[in-house]
Amino acid sequence: MTAAPEAARIRSKQIDSRAEAVAGYSFVAIPMAFFLVLQIGVLFYAAWISVWNWNIRSGPVAFEGLGNFERMLNDPIFQTAIKNTLYYAIVWVPLTMAIGLFLAVIVNQKIRGQTFFRASFYFPAIASSAAITVLWIFIVSPNGLFNELRGALGLNPLFEFLGYGPNHNWIGDYRTALNSVIILNAWTTSGTFMLFYLASLQSISNEVYEAGAIDGASPWQAFRHITFPLLKPGHYFVATVGVIGALQMFDQARIAGGTDGAPAYSLMTIVLYLYNALIQQIDPGYAAAVGIVLFIIIFGATLIQRRLFGGAPAW
Amino acid sequence: MTAVAELRPRAEADVGPAGDKGRGWRRVVAYTLLIGYALLMFVPFAWTVITSFKTLPDSVRLTIIPQPITLEGWQYTLTNLTPSVLVLFWNSALIAGVVTISNLVLGSLAGYAFARLRFPGREILFLLVLATLMIPDQLRLVPIYILFNGLGLTVGLGEYIAVILVLAISATSIFLLRQYFLTIPRDLEEAARIDGAGFFTTFTRVMLPLATPALAAVTILQFQGTWNGFFWPIVFLKQEGHLTLPIGLTFFREAGGFLTNWPPLMALVVIATLPILILYIFFQRYFVEGIAASGVKG
Repeated sequence: MTAAPEAARIRSKQIDSRAEAVAGYSFVAIPMAFFLVLQIGVLFYAAWISVWNWNIRSGPVAFEGLGNFERMLNDPIFQTAIKNTLYYAIVWVPLTMAIGLFLAVIVNQKIRGQTFFRASFYFPAIASSAAITVLWIFIVSPNGLFNELRGALGLNPLFEFLGYGPNHNWIGDYRTALNSVIILNAWTTSGTFMLFYLASLQSISNEVYEAGAIDGASPWQAFRHITFPLLKPGHYFVATVGVIGALQMFDQARIAGGTDGAPAYSLMTIVLYLYNALIQQIDPGYAAAVGIVLFIIIFGATLIQRRLFGGAPAW
Repeated sequence: MTAVAELRPRAEADVGPAGDKGRGWRRVVAYTLLIGYALLMFVPFAWTVITSFKTLPDSVRLTIIPQPITLEGWQYTLTNLTPSVLVLFWNSALIAGVVTISNLVLGSLAGYAFARLRFPGREILFLLVLATLMIPDQLRLVPIYILFNGLGLTVGLGEYIAVILVLAISATSIFLLRQYFLTIPRDLEEAARIDGAGFFTTFTRVMLPLATPALAAVTILQFQGTWNGFFWPIVFLKQEGHLTLPIGLTFFREAGGFLTNWPPLMALVVIATLPILILYIFFQRYFVEGIAASGVKG
């Protein structure tokens, strides 16, 4: 190599690197065009639309400034949407994390059929949200599997005590609709969280457990003092992904509650509100403003979590 | 990062913590929990299949074997829907197929360039692609809708094009493929280059065949994601003849004479889920191991 004539080598390298750059740009040209227009460009467009009263056909009608935002914050239905979405995130994320972690720890043991159990627990996550939500609506309907089963098991007095009759319409009653969706999504997503946690669990070295075993740690102590704290990066990742997903909850609300999040707006979420403003009310300026508020909420939640997990001592 | 690491053949990663002597009672408890929970995962689906073979009065009873077993529900679903199940199925397959191919082509081009070709601005462009993972789809809804509306993509066949364009390339596809291309040894490429192959030939003849596992993962993730897709299809697909299975299912439940006519509704749920179930049975590994990457999508 070193014997090669230096000048010729450098020149051919220059030509080569120019050709490589040309090839590089032509390879990324089309994909980048998609990103620049449909991901980056539209953000600025969204900000622009949000300060106008915008007609779907003719475009901007009247400048609103922050008028759309003001109207939104004063709308009781929007306040309900915020309340529902936050409630959903605060209940659903920890619940699903706990189930996911529990499953991951169990599946991570030396057990027979590990692959089968892992595949089974992830199974509900593969179906479409529409199919699974319709299935769920059926299961928790007045004469559905859930009500029939608890009747057959003699659990009705307990539910009666809690104020729910034998044919309670779980997803059709405003008191229980959102909680029904929370259970549904905890069921379908716990398998996904399990997979995230499994990846994190497998990064913990066996030596730590050996050291724990020498110190006479019980399984629970090992979990409490070794596994759980060492999973901190896993907790952070799952919580972040979970909260972002929760704040965007839409499919189940739209399918079970229609465009108004029925009954009585109990399934109205921020995204459903946004969708409603564009598709039903046909008010693009207003809908764009909702999108920007949603983005700010998601961004804020992500920052808060980063602080929570980043600044906390090692449990 | 983890996603791609896991696409490589796994070593002995599946062993649990050492010191787990598996004392008898702990095993019993563990297996009871495992089997119980696994049942909990399957029961609702099994119930769906059972219900699809029931009569309406029987569908709200706790009978495990339908009394009588009937094909009425299936018959209703297969013959009575407008648009027909066949149209829904075809629309789902068409959109999922085109979106998957587009992600494979554009994703491998960009993934390869970001992994291997040196050009000014490469890192910035790649960071830009990754940064888009943080942008919620819903923030893009209004501007994209207005843009496409102006281009005539909210009516007629434009409805298909709108959905396909929005989903044509995802940052996840690019990221997955780039990470995989990074793991392929450079020697092979250099040998091809010395033999006089151009960049494009090297890419198609040498690198793409080597990237089969990553291409398979992208295929599975994209096909499943698009087949199940709800948000963009329900925004753009309005003409009856253009609906996909999830959107058709939603509309039928709301209006099309289904409401609480459970057996045919459950038959439709089975039809919508079956193709993905078959994929899952055969390619379970790609689902399970590619999920860390798709999870980033949120």
